[in-house]
This record gives sequence, structure tokens and C-alpha cells, in this order.
Amino acid sequence: MAKLEKALVAEGEVGAGLSTGVGALPRRKEGAWAEPIQDVVLRVGGILALVFVWWVLSLIFPPTLVPKPMETFSEVAAIITTGDFFYEMGATLRRVLVGFGIAMVVAIPLGIVMGTLRNLESFFEPPVILGLTMPGLIWAVLMIMFFGLTETSAYAAVAITICPMLAISIWQGTKSIEKDLIDMSKAFHASPWSKVMDVILPQLISHILAAIRYGLGLAWKVVVVVEMFGFSNGVGYQVVRGFNIFSMKAVLAWAITFLVVMIIIEFGFIGWLERTVTAWRPKIEAFRR
Amino acid sequence: MAYVRVDKAVKYFPREDGSEMLVLDGVSFETKEFGITCLLGPSGCGKSTLLNIITGLERLEQGRTEVVSNHRESGKQEPRLGYVFQDPRLLNWKRVEDNLAFALKGMGIPRQIWDERIQKYLSLVGLLEFRKQYPLYLSGGMRQRVGLARGLVIEPEVLLMDEPYSKLDHLTARKLREDTLEICARLKQTALLVTHDVEEAAFMGDRIVIFSPRPAHIADIFDNPLPPLERDVDDTRFIQFKKKLLQSVMRLVKEEV
Repeated sequence: MAKLEKALVAEGEVGAGLSTGVGALPRRKEGAWAEPIQDVVLRVGGILALVFVWWVLSLIFPPTLVPKPMETFSEVAAIITTGDFFYEMGATLRRVLVGFGIAMVVAIPLGIVMGTLRNLESFFEPPVILGLTMPGLIWAVLMIMFFGLTETSAYAAVAITICPMLAISIWQGTKSIEKDLIDMSKAFHASPWSKVMDVILPQLISHILAAIRYGLGLAWKVVVVVEMFGFSNGVGYQVVRGFNIFSMKAVLAWAITFLVVMIIIEFGFIGWLERTVTAWRPKIEAFRR
Repeated sequence: MAYVRVDKAVKYFPREDGSEMLVLDGVSFETKEFGITCLLGPSGCGKSTLLNIITGLERLEQGRTEVVSNHRESGKQEPRLGYVFQDPRLLNWKRVEDNLAFALKGMGIPRQIWDERIQKYLSLVGLLEFRKQYPLYLSGGMRQRVGLARGLVIEPEVLLMDEPYSKLDHLTARKLREDTLEICARLKQTALLVTHDVEEAAFMGDRIVIFSPRPAHIADIFDNPLPPLERDVDDTRFIQFKKKLLQSVMRLVKEEV
């Protein structure tokens, strides 16, 4: 009963334009930090456990097969301090980002078109599904045969491998678009551009973010394969070099730096992107009626 | 000055089996100038369809609808219509003010006056201090108020409202009805309100147009004897008028059964 009265007062106040911030901003529960700290401890524990297993293995096997963790980490430090890291990683990142950008530019309109126009859906579905089924390795081989050992083949291989996956994810996303909002935008005479930018794309944002996550994961894998085929820089090239001199330490050190960069991008950058573009959505603890 | 004239409107809907279902069977009426006209009738009788026809989202088979206004020459330009939906239908990823700006942009209203307009209409609905807030942080009643402000901010010749209170709880709806009535009276806004609630029609409508069950024709048209701001749901004069509407509606329902 008291609750009802409170709600009534709140409604009344709002009506009179006097409200004192009903539903203004999310409030933190008390002790809200306990959970994140526990979470961080568990995550760090998981990583330490992996290093421990590695260390145990290094006691059993000779260092040429399983190098000691600490030695490998100092190799990582060496890679970073000599500056090799930035050069090689820069080359790899550039290939991933350009290929990824191309794939996005193609996949977003393609996905929207497939989701909204019935005939084009039937037309594009088979090629997109076929593209999805094709292994990234084969795309890499095809692109290198076609473009030669040029940057273009790296960009093309990344783009063509992830494009079908992005398109499918956006195409599925368009099925969840609310028709009511489209009708609303028609009633207010929104231009086609405004309909796409203000009404359709924001409803796809969570699908696009998921697509970016999976797409990046695929892109890393493909780009390393392309670089292994005979490029003279990039993380993939360094891994092959380590393989040729049979230095397990070098292969692992490059793999680790690569993993760290990927994790920074996936959790740091994409996490930040996600928080930024979904700020309009109340968190679970937010005040919501 | 603006009003809507509906003249012998006939509308069919295609059925699944390919045959056609008559929805509007020669509907004719005129709305009030300056004031709210309620379209009252049972659910599914074609009232909302008529709103869609007036907005141009659907077409008539016969007859015509026209928004007559002295702001523009008849039939020369498209009329400017504001819409308030049953659900607020806000763009939840846009701040309150940007939801209003979305309507202003669509209707081609010059950008220099957006801010002034947004301020005016948000304060009319009592939400000025929430202009930077995102809709999902607001209550259902407040979101519906944003929807009302969005309908009004384009300064429409006619404001079309499609059961805007039916999803709100009783008390929130009651408060919002009072405020809508007051705002429309103050702005001298011509409005069409679709409802199936007799009391709501008696309270909101300066004129009440009663639709028969499908296929709809106009059963009765009543003008409210009470001016907008003197309607009190406990007043005997109000109750009498409500009874009159109820009798008319019940007669139709009985014929149907």
C-alpha cells in the first residue's frame, strides 16, 4: 500500500514537472564491489593454473619440446623491448583491420537487404551459406594464388572468410526488428537514410557486436595462415621462422604476445565499444519499472 | 483551424482464403475543429484502420478522407499529422529529446527551432528535466508522455491517438487523460482519439463518433455537453452523458448478439 502511494506521488510530481529524479540513474547496491573482486581473483587463478600445468610439463619434457615458462616470458620481454613486436604485430593488425573493415562494409548492407527483401534473401542465401562452409585455409590459398604474395591477398582472404559469418549474423538480427517502430518512423515521414541509421541499425547493434567478436576471432586465425605462406613479416611469419629453426621458445613467445594483444582488443576495446553503444539499456541493478 | 472529414469510406481487408472482408461500410463523419473527437467502438471494428487511412499508411476502396486546414490549400500538400500509439514506440537508444528531434527531422522542420520546440512540448507534458534521459530509465506513464510530446512537437494540424492509455495502469492513465485534455484545450489542438472505453470517450471527447461492430458504420454522433475542463467523473451531468453513450453502445452490442 505504501508502495502504491509512493508511486502515485511520483506520477503526480512528474505531471507537475516537479519530480526529484524518479528513475533518474541506476544506483549501486551496497557491497556491489565484492562480486567483481571475486571475479577477478577467479580469472587470475585460471591463468595461473595454466602456467602451473605448463611448468609441470616443462619438468617432464626436455626444454626443446617444452621450454620453461619463465624463459619463454623473458623471450616475450625481449621481443617487446627490441621493437620487433610492434613492427610484426603492426603488420598483422593492419591486415586484420583492413580485411575486417572490408567485410563489415559488405556484410552490413548485405545482411540488412537479406533480412528485409524476401526475393534477395532467397538469392543470396546459397552463396552466403557456401561461403560460411568454406575453410579459411582454402580461402587463403585461393587468394594467394589469385593476388600473389601481396598485401591485397591478405586483406582479401580475411575479408572473404569472415564476411559470410557477419552477413548471416546481421541477417538473423533483422528478423528481430520491431515492425511497430518502422510504422512509427513512417508516420513521422522519416527519410530512408534516417530509417536505417536511427531505427534499423540501433536494433541490430547487439547482433553486430556479436558478429565483431566472432569475426575478429576468425580473422586472427586466417591472417596467421596467410602470413605463414611466405610473407616476410607479421606474427604468422615469425611463428614459421621459429618453426624452421625448431625453437619452441620462439614459437610460444610469439603465440603468447599475439594472445595478449587479442585479449586486450576483445575485452578492452570491444568491451568498451559495447558499453558505449548500449548505455541506453539499464543494467540489471538499475531502477526500472 | 483544422478538422478531418471522412466521406463514405469503404475498406476491405483480404482474407487468408483470398476472399475479402468488409471493414468500413460507408463511414462518414466530421471531427470538431479545436478539440478532441473520440472514435468509440468495440475492438476490431476498424477504428485504427481508419486512423491508418487518414495518415496515408493504408488506402480506401471507396470514399475519401480529408484533413481540411486553413494552413494550406486543400489537397495541395500532405497534411501534417502527429501520432500517439498504444505503446509509446520510442527509440530506446535515443535520449528523450532526440526522440522528439527524430519526429522534427522527419517532418522537415528547420533545425534552428528544434530546441525551442523540444523545450516547449517537454515542459507541457512535465518532462523537461528528463530531456537527456534514455526512455528505458523512465516509467511506463512517463514514456507515454514522451510519446505524446513527440506527437505534439511537430505542431500537427491533427493529432491522432490510438488507444494511448489502454496499456497504462488505472491511476496513471487517469492522470495522463486529464493532462492530455488540458494540453489539447490550451493548444486548441484538433485531435482524434480511438478508444473502446465509454468513460474515456465521455471524458476526453468534445465529440464522440460511435462505430458499429464490423463492418463498421457510424451508429451515433454525440457532442459533449460539458466543456473539456469542467468534466468530473463524479459529477451527475457527466454520469448522465456517459449513460447516454453506454446505451448507444450496448444497443449495438445486443444487435450483434
